[in-house]
Amino acid sequence: MIEFREVSFSYGQNEQTCGIKNINLTIEDGQCVLLCGESGCGKTTLTRLVNGLIPHFYEGDLSGEVWMDDKNISKMPLYDTAAIVGSVFQSPKSQFFNVDTDSEIAFGCENLGLPEQEIRHRVKRTVRELQLESLMGRSIFHLSGGEKQKIACGSVSALYPEVMVLDEPSSNLDAAAIQDLRRTLTVWKKQGKTILIAEHRLFYLTDIADRILYLKNGKIIKEFTQHEFKKLSEEERHKMGLRSLSLENLSFSSAYVTDLEETMLLKDFCFSYRTGLDALHISNATIPKGEIIAVTGLNGAGKSTFARCMCGLEKRCGILEIKGRVLNWKKRLKYCYMVMQDTGHQLFTESVLDEILLSMETEDEEEACKILKKLDLLDLKSRHPLSLSGGQKQRVAIASALVSGREIIVFDEPTSGLGLHHMEEVAHSLRELRQEGKTLFVITHDPELILSCCTHVIHMKNGEITENYSLDRNGIKQMLSFFQNPIKEGSL
Amino acid sequence: MSKDVTQKVSNHIGGKDLITVGIYTVIYIVIIGIFGALSFIPIFIPLTAVFCPLIGGIPFMLYVTKAKKFGMTTIMGTLIGILMFVMGMGYWVAITGLVFGLIADLVLKSGKYQSAKRTILACGFFSMWEFGNLMPFFVGREAYLAQLQEGYGAEYVSTVSSYMPMWILPILLIATFIFGLLGGLIGKAICKKHFKRAGIA
Amino acid sequence: MRREFLSSEQQKKGIHFDPRTKLLLILIISVFVLGGAGGNAMYFLRPVLSLVPFAMLISVGRGFHAALYIIAYTVCYVAQLILLPILTGFTNFLVLILAGTFCRFLPGFIIAYFVVTTTTVSEFMAGMERMHMPSKITIPLSVVFRFAPTVLEEAASISDAMKMRGIRFGGKKSSKILEYRLIPMITCSVKIGEELSAAALTRGLGAPLKRTNICEIGFHFPDVIIFILCGVTVAWAIFSAFSI
Repeated sequence: MIEFREVSFSYGQNEQTCGIKNINLTIEDGQCVLLCGESGCGKTTLTRLVNGLIPHFYEGDLSGEVWMDDKNISKMPLYDTAAIVGSVFQSPKSQFFNVDTDSEIAFGCENLGLPEQEIRHRVKRTVRELQLESLMGRSIFHLSGGEKQKIACGSVSALYPEVMVLDEPSSNLDAAAIQDLRRTLTVWKKQGKTILIAEHRLFYLTDIADRILYLKNGKIIKEFTQHEFKKLSEEERHKMGLRSLSLENLSFSSAYVTDLEETMLLKDFCFSYRTGLDALHISNATIPKGEIIAVTGLNGAGKSTFARCMCGLEKRCGILEIKGRVLNWKKRLKYCYMVMQDTGHQLFTESVLDEILLSMETEDEEEACKILKKLDLLDLKSRHPLSLSGGQKQRVAIASALVSGREIIVFDEPTSGLGLHHMEEVAHSLRELRQEGKTLFVITHDPELILSCCTHVIHMKNGEITENYSLDRNGIKQMLSFFQNPIKEGSL
Repeated sequence: MSKDVTQKVSNHIGGKDLITVGIYTVIYIVIIGIFGALSFIPIFIPLTAVFCPLIGGIPFMLYVTKAKKFGMTTIMGTLIGILMFVMGMGYWVAITGLVFGLIADLVLKSGKYQSAKRTILACGFFSMWEFGNLMPFFVGREAYLAQLQEGYGAEYVSTVSSYMPMWILPILLIATFIFGLLGGLIGKAICKKHFKRAGIA
Repeated sequence: MRREFLSSEQQKKGIHFDPRTKLLLILIISVFVLGGAGGNAMYFLRPVLSLVPFAMLISVGRGFHAALYIIAYTVCYVAQLILLPILTGFTNFLVLILAGTFCRFLPGFIIAYFVVTTTTVSEFMAGMERMHMPSKITIPLSVVFRFAPTVLEEAASISDAMKMRGIRFGGKKSSKILEYRLIPMITCSVKIGEELSAAALTRGLGAPLKRTNICEIGFHFPDVIIFILCGVTVAWAIFSAFSI
């Protein structure tokens, strides 16, 4: 049993994350509790209180107590909490500590100094239970995000904790990996573990969660049972800022019909890495110009290689023909722009204004301010770009693309880990860019984003474009059927 | 309701600190490596005494904002030494890494990990680990020259010695220190200009 | 695309050596070949030791690299023997510096290359622990091996971003290129490092008890051969130092 007694917490001034206020909460053994709410509502903070990262890792002002049975977690050192609470985090790339999968699964047990025989036994059992056989003996650097997340679950599982805490575990996963994660959660639930999960994407959890807590501004505002939660009306859900609860009946405002007036031609987009992963072979494709094109497909289908080739980042790869203009990779470096998943990689200067000026052919402050104003960034112009929130950074990157006159902008998973309102903001920016006549490619695993702004879909598999259709009524069905049934695709 | 002091100030180096040391060691070495790679051209080797301390000041000055416990900087120096040794730079650097890491740590401690002047001084001392990389040029020298002498005679060797004078040794040693200080100043400026504002320092 | 310090996957073919044996080899070569210890007495033993990296590369089936190494080494060695007496002035100096430096540094680099590419991180850590290295060294060291590829990946992404924005040497703002590269790299790495740290701590890292290590290492026949070779070298050096 986990018990929060009058718990309040606030981070130091530097942190953008908001704290929590006066939480009283009891979670019974074996319950699966879903924490939802918009970004900054305090759901992550709540998970950090259970796994002890607050107050032992993240500093701030804490009052009240968090108890687990007869143990006061806030007073227990982290390595003792580790044996009873297991944690899985958002980013697959930063939560493994070893470089090979076997060591990673044994890692927690090794830290706690369990006897060698016991560890071997536990690793074997965990591998069997979570079906990790095919991932054993591999380098973690060569795994996909979904596979890494599976290993992270295994590593936690081997410690045999009573409580599992997950903080937005699906943010960086593709549709198939989310199904895998769901299966893992089901296994844990069957084992009688208490599960606490903070999440934006809700559709894969509606059948698992016993109890749903809705947080806002650091407080628990509403509580639902699974049954009540499923019956939430679309309107209420939207008002609460929650992502959709099921992929079966996603709403879409109006089906868009493209007229395919102008097109562009891709030729010889072929590329392969020395590792052989994520190769690309598109010999010929016609894609509409001036549309918002969703690029879908599972991880490893070649989507990011496609994006890199499009932006001219892979040398001598492919030719793009637009209105009789032929653009080779070198010309595309100046014609296209990528808004990366981690926009922190592409902001270099010490202020937002400098960032825009850097992208201009000739520096013109007035012009720069105009663009900033349009993207709602003018108030932030003297801030350090790396101190901004994710969405703001994204807009700065967009501004620098606009100001350097790029015609094609590629977005790499722009909505991973975003709540409904932030996702809608992104969709809004994308639609505005289209109004200006830009062509946008959006690599995404987010069907809601596709429905709220995209007009065309290219679906990739094994480095090829297998489907290429506009998002009319039939197109929407086609697109959704992939997200509802990704496993079929994976096994083919 | 009583308010807990959330973070006990302890002098014991815990798991979090050890990971911090590892992380900054990687950042430091990768940045140094940008210039270290040049030293495959022998002529550039003495210049590493200038460039590496100069640029190494940036990660080091950020590191000391996190390393507030005695021993952390010593460990970082030792790690750099061990890694350089494993990468084939000779065993001297393992010793200089430990020694100058410890000296820097002592200097930091004397300023209670707060004094700005002492941190820059510490950066100067810390940078002297780099000298260990240059030691093989001087230490094995007699053996090498003696070996040459057997073949070509004393006169020849004295000419060669003039090309590789021994007096450059103390100069390089001082250079690593001076440029370490300069690197510390640069690092401090960068911390203020970027890292503080980006919220990581 | 090899960006790792030490390998993350098991060596698949060839002879396995214990990580401690490999470390001993690095030490012996850096003392006697790179460091020049033992003076003239080692005149003949040094080339023999320089053959060790060649043998080690052969033992794991990297014939091509081994051949490259032995050719480069021989060329430098012979250049010293033949060219130095006939050349004078600056060319002489150049040969001396280049050939001399390579002869001393190359064996050390190659043995390091061998060790770094054939040892997995877990083997290395197990070796360190058997040598009773304190956890204050081994824990940060394992972070280094885990984190180095990540930092290099970050650096690569930043290079891509710079390419897209047309920032390069010779282009606009060349003088600031270093700053543009370093700042995001450090900032992103520090942030990822923080997440990594949190994840590791919730899995019990830093507990004040003896860590178990389930990686199996141990000495076998090939290790014994290396020990004998190293023993002979040291004994010879000591013997000749006293006999002078």
